Amino acid sequence: MSPELTIALLLWGTLVGLDLVSVPQMMIARPLIAGPVAGAILGDLEAGLKLGVVFELLQYDILPVGAVRYPEYGPATVGAVATAHASAGVLGLGLGTLVGLLTGLVGGVTIHLLRRINGRAVQAAAATLESGDPRQLARVHVAAILRDALRAALVTAFGLGLAWAAPPLLGAILTLRGITLLAVAAVAAALAAGAAGTLRLVGRGPNLAWFAAGLGGGVLVAGVLR
Amino acid sequence: MTPRPPLARALLRLFAVQGSYNYERMLGLGVGVAEEPLLRDLPADGPESPYRTAVARGAHFFNAHPYLAGLAVGAAARAEHDGAPPEQVERLRATLCGPLGSLGDRLVWAGWLPLLSGLALTAITLGAGWTAVAAFFVVYNAGHVALRWWALQAGWTHGARVASALHHPLLQRGVAVLGPAMACAVGAALPLTAQYLAAPFEIWARGVLAAVAALGFIALRWLPGRLTGLRLGLGLSALALVVGWLWP
Repeated sequence: MSPELTIALLLWGTLVGLDLVSVPQMMIARPLIAGPVAGAILGDLEAGLKLGVVFELLQYDILPVGAVRYPEYGPATVGAVATAHASAGVLGLGLGTLVGLLTGLVGGVTIHLLRRINGRAVQAAAATLESGDPRQLARVHVAAILRDALRAALVTAFGLGLAWAAPPLLGAILTLRGITLLAVAAVAAALAAGAAGTLRLVGRGPNLAWFAAGLGGGVLVAGVLR
Repeated sequence: MTPRPPLARALLRLFAVQGSYNYERMLGLGVGVAEEPLLRDLPADGPESPYRTAVARGAHFFNAHPYLAGLAVGAAARAEHDGAPPEQVERLRATLCGPLGSLGDRLVWAGWLPLLSGLALTAITLGAGWTAVAAFFVVYNAGHVALRWWALQAGWTHGARVASALHHPLLQRGVAVLGPAMACAVGAALPLTAQYLAAPFEIWARGVLAAVAALGFIALRWLPGRLTGLRLGLGLSALALVVGWLWP
């Protein structure tokens, strides 16, 4: 991967990481968008769409309510697509997902740490905030956004580092069956998380019948398309 | 008469309402930053001026759905302009946290977002590619920005009596329609994405995929909270690496 492409992915991952919580929450952090755009940057839209779909399903497992802790799949998808682009076919799907999951885990930890650091900054500025100084209020707020940008850049860099190291390391020692099993594990986890997360949203009320109807329709269309 | 408020400036700032999210005040600082332009008409002379005390109050603890936080921003700013006592403004903000969080979660996180995501997934599996991604982005944000703008305007219009805005028929209808639509759309997307992702696999691998996905689903349903999609994915990947190494 050329330095220009690496910088472009780093910038994209930073924007994606900022979008998740800080600004502007327009859902570019959603893997469905983060993945294909990363793929387009690399000239590999197919990998972007595939990994975007895998992580979008994993995203269904997360309901970002209150102060709940969750993995961050936006920059993770960027790292996953970069890995898939550097690997061939099924290896890219499995290895890309593994890199994305590890990056998502690290991203989630950094979000928690950032919130604690923000809390300390607010405590430190409590007296001036209570005086109603609008400049100080804006300063604390903007500093927190800049910290999040730095955090998102570091998480993306971590993912891109894995994307650079993992294919030659694991690709060389994995057998063909191992490569397939890794991809199967990735897709199975995504489908299980997608289904379980959706059912949690749907609940046991009347929406369950709508879910069943949709599922039936999907099975029917999948059967016709086969 | 209250002068024309700079609602557009407040709206722009609301896009960063979670910028300083923390466990102490949650969205509080972001709400204060967004509310500040609406408070500039208040008298600002001296450290205890109405402007300064209102800015300080605006940055206190607040938690709600970010897209609906504008409702509290507009309502609190209007109440400050109307000369409501400080305790009433604080009470208004505290009262809005729960309903705005609950409504936003049902309307957006459990409705609008998964509905459009499910439709986009289906479209991608049917070959729509970029068009599906672009349509998801545009349609989602049309609803997103409209909701933020409505919330801010409704808050400013109703002030301390903003609770009535939450009974708007469109919101109630939205919650009632989006739930079933989301369930149906994501339900349809699941088998299609399974087929799309399993396309490059051989027959034996598809069998393993079906079995492992079913077991994973049961495990996630059985151990909610303890087992997550992330843990399942990492665990299955580690298992696949070991099995692939032992069974060349």
